[in-house]
Amino acid sequence: MSDLWYQLKKNKIAMSGLFMTIILIILAITAPWIAPYDPYEMAPDARFAEPSLAHFLGTDQFGRDILSRIIYGSRISLQVGIISVGLSFVLGTLIGVVAAYYGKWVDAALSRLTDVMFSFPDILLALVIMAILGPSLTNLMIAVGIVYTPIFARIARGSVLSIKNSLFIEAARSMGVSNLKIMWKHILPNSMAPLIVQVTLSFAFAILAEAALSFLGLGVSPDTPSWGIMLSEGKSWMESAWWIAVFPGIAITLAVFSFNVMGDGLRDALDPRLKNESS
Amino acid sequence: MKKSYWGWLLVLFVLILAGCTDPTETTEESGGNDGGEEAASSEDGGGTLTITDLSDAQSLDPHVVTDAASMRYIENMYNTLFRYTEGSYGEVEGELVDEHEISDDGLTYTLTLHEGVKFHNGDDLTSEDVKYSIERIIENEVRSAQFDALESIETPSDTEVVMTLNEPVAPLLTFLAYPMNAIVNETIVEENDGDLSNADAGSGAFQLENWSMDQEMVLTKFDDYFKEGKPYLDEVVWRSIPDETSRTTAIRNGEVDILMQAEPKDISMLEDAEGVDVEMIDGSYWEYLGMNTEDGPLAEQEVRQAVAWAIDRSAINDSVKFGEATPLLSGPVPPNHWAHLDEEIYPEPDLDQARELLEEAGYGDGLDIELIVGTNQFQIDAAQVIKQQLSEVDINVEVLSQEDSVFFDALGSGDFEMTVVGWVGFVDPDEFLYNIFHTDGMYNQQNYSNSEVDELLEQGRSEQDQEQRKELYDEAQRLIAEDAPMAFLYVNPQITAMRDNVQDFDVNPTVTTKSLEDTKIEE
Amino acid sequence: MIQYVIRRLLISIPVLLGISVVAFFMVRLVPGDTVTAMLGNSYTPDQAEALRSKYGLDEPLIQQYFLWLGNVLQGDFGYSQFTNTPVLDAILARLPITIELAVLSVLIAIIIAIPLGTIAALRRNSKFDYGASMFGLLGISVPNFWLGTLMILFLSLYAGWFPSGGFVGLSESIIGNLRSMLLPAIALGTAVGAVAMRMTRSSMLEVTNQEYIKMARAKGVSNERLIWRHALKNALIPVVTVIGIQAGYLLGGSVVIEQIFGLPGVGQLALQAITNRDYALLQGTILFIASAFVIVNLIVDVIYGFLNPQIRY
Repeated sequence: MSDLWYQLKKNKIAMSGLFMTIILIILAITAPWIAPYDPYEMAPDARFAEPSLAHFLGTDQFGRDILSRIIYGSRISLQVGIISVGLSFVLGTLIGVVAAYYGKWVDAALSRLTDVMFSFPDILLALVIMAILGPSLTNLMIAVGIVYTPIFARIARGSVLSIKNSLFIEAARSMGVSNLKIMWKHILPNSMAPLIVQVTLSFAFAILAEAALSFLGLGVSPDTPSWGIMLSEGKSWMESAWWIAVFPGIAITLAVFSFNVMGDGLRDALDPRLKNESS
Repeated sequence: MKKSYWGWLLVLFVLILAGCTDPTETTEESGGNDGGEEAASSEDGGGTLTITDLSDAQSLDPHVVTDAASMRYIENMYNTLFRYTEGSYGEVEGELVDEHEISDDGLTYTLTLHEGVKFHNGDDLTSEDVKYSIERIIENEVRSAQFDALESIETPSDTEVVMTLNEPVAPLLTFLAYPMNAIVNETIVEENDGDLSNADAGSGAFQLENWSMDQEMVLTKFDDYFKEGKPYLDEVVWRSIPDETSRTTAIRNGEVDILMQAEPKDISMLEDAEGVDVEMIDGSYWEYLGMNTEDGPLAEQEVRQAVAWAIDRSAINDSVKFGEATPLLSGPVPPNHWAHLDEEIYPEPDLDQARELLEEAGYGDGLDIELIVGTNQFQIDAAQVIKQQLSEVDINVEVLSQEDSVFFDALGSGDFEMTVVGWVGFVDPDEFLYNIFHTDGMYNQQNYSNSEVDELLEQGRSEQDQEQRKELYDEAQRLIAEDAPMAFLYVNPQITAMRDNVQDFDVNPTVTTKSLEDTKIEE
Repeated sequence: MIQYVIRRLLISIPVLLGISVVAFFMVRLVPGDTVTAMLGNSYTPDQAEALRSKYGLDEPLIQQYFLWLGNVLQGDFGYSQFTNTPVLDAILARLPITIELAVLSVLIAIIIAIPLGTIAALRRNSKFDYGASMFGLLGISVPNFWLGTLMILFLSLYAGWFPSGGFVGLSESIIGNLRSMLLPAIALGTAVGAVAMRMTRSSMLEVTNQEYIKMARAKGVSNERLIWRHALKNALIPVVTVIGIQAGYLLGGSVVIEQIFGLPGVGQLALQAITNRDYALLQGTILFIASAFVIVNLIVDVIYGFLNPQIRY
């Protein structure tokens, strides 16, 4: 772990990603104290206010302060990221480890299942799942979680396969250690590196997916200060009030960017072979 | 191997190119002979008029479609027995029918058809076609309810139709004027195996030339149209442009001549544009805050009245419709309709009154309510403003936006507390009120029941005299507004932008475009 | 090699079957149906029941599935309940637009990716390299629908260079067609280009480090000749891979992009089918899109196999 930190510290880009991520987390935690206005408060006199000292990023069609809504929106994005990625990580890893460890028909069946799920474009799959579950924040997290499960399954399977037949696993098996215990104690910890990288990158995907689904009107409740919803509402006013759509977009890009940068840095730090090539 | 992969890349590229050439072929087939490029001839009016609406038709079968866009695409190819009187709301006059007689008991309608009406294929339009069409409407179920009371249709002669009802239906003529209750040609229906979704079986002023879905529909002048000298235009081209910005750009630079249903926010921009006129009247689309009267806190009349007093209709109008809609302060029938109730039952928001009513009902400390909306952005926005306004009297609203089919399912089965939605397209006051507020009304989603209202609505259905009916409907609307199963919000404007050389196009509350047969384009 | 192709084909069969199962039952799990969407606010349970039995929606689900699958295998995707037109016709009419969008996006991606990636790799750790890395990361971070919205705002509304939406058929006007497709293709292609650039860069680095290149260099083969004749050829392999990996992204992204730019493609059709709860149409489009993904990947895998002799089967 300390080695990882050391590697990370050397990578400037990764460190800047980490830095931005931490800012995002701080924003989300301290939102009630730092947001200048109540994000739900409508001010009929201040509709469509341009960016100014009173409203740094302007106001929307109801006179709500955009900066405050963006600050609160970081909570939604992080929440979606943590829960949906957590879900796909647990589900996917479980499927992958079981498939790789048991092999044979279990592997064949689970792998085909992953292939099938992989064949549906992520947004389309999420759209249909959202249509099944109905629009709400919880359902959105479930939908995004399901959509990104196959990636984790594939990565987990691959990395388990690569160490399954290594000496120390053979040794454990010959000593009569139970399958479950081998998977939990030995195989999983040794397959962690690529999974951690994928977790970081999936955070980026999850934030994008939330925004896209909300943009298409199948996301969270309409007055939630979600970046995607703000963007979607702002699109109608683009000609007269560009700031309503532009700032939430920048927020999404920056958040996704910081997770991508961190993911890249982690990959370099965790995988020395790749590191040599790409930096 | 190494050398040959350039070859394989080439193969890939060719594959890609092959994928590229496909579209040319298909689009050529579907949209090739649109003929829209030909210069318009200007003798006797003439010329091509391009008109745009939000969405494309789903099907061209008048007896099957349910969406407003399809209706507008279809209506100019067909005729109906009656038609809406231009420049009015709620009145009808004969179209295919020259004379009509209604028996005193309101059960027998004798209609005399115009002679010499021809279908587009040259067949004569006779009473048999009328009978066939009405039977086909009933068979297709979509609008069969309008003819529930119909017992029989007789055709004593080619130009005479006798309809017998088992109970009086005062709005029957209005139903017969509904553009989709069109008279179709049986022969054409059979030639198309009963499916008119891509065919023209009409006798209307224009006939179908070509329709390529999601691109355009071309209608050309029907030379044997039974109305002497009409239509004036040679060709009408329908184009659906769903994107708001592209639509307004298209009318501004003259790509289209008429733009239907512009948005309130674009009015000032369109008015400022060179060569564009904007015409606006109260339309037939009214929106309301619906409250389920069956259970929960909203079952109490006082709570519903409190809501009706607490909301600020003009403020919602300002926030959501740029102040361009007309607030409904009493009943749902709009001000330009003969059956409008000219009284202000909720003239201004009154928060004290609302708090008092809530106190009386035992909700002085506030209450929680869930408000569902569909995907209509204006209704989502209105819901958010309402949430804010109701919080002033400690009613905490949670807004939930559902997908339309789920949403309407919930409404239809009465599975909601509060909703913001609207109704569109009613013409007769019976349509505005009976099905929605009668205890046994088909669309009584609010589960509203008031025996006095029921009685008034039943009388209105059998009364033929318009003045008598107005009194009945005034009283019914007064009672409904006081019971407040709905807090009526506003009626939307019907905004049409036209190039300034377009003449005699009637901007109608029902959004019908049948006046295209009278429309001219000045060169 | 042929064996490999056959094996890949065989594996695809259960996957395609699985797709059909998922497409069918997932769609049927969606609450609300065509009938409710069709009736809108005029929904009443009685009317809905009548329409349902008219469309055969009251039969047992399993029976409906096998009936549907049997028909699909014979090339009959059924009729759209909403528009009453054959599903396959609706898809085929819109397919060229989506294919054109995808192909243009890939072309734009390649135009950006190959030169940028190659130069970045050759000038490793230079300012250019860092700049390219930043571009790559930004490119995969920016939401395509926001990029599209911005381009409409600045390039169409303010500058007036492009139409802000709507589709012009190739047969109507080639220039008009390109003008209507270019912005959506850029919006969709940026992320693909970013991924492809990152791949080009790292595989160029890998290739230039390999023994045979070093050897050739030692033998005095000129640097430029080396790059363009030897290294780049190998570096193209990832481009092919990217097309495969990104096929799903392109198809999914087209749902959003077609919506924003008002392009009547397959993605828009799918979205419409979801809103209208048009079962046959939604099943058809989903099945079609997912199968297209499988087939594109199959082709890419095979091409990849030819390109890269190192892979053994």
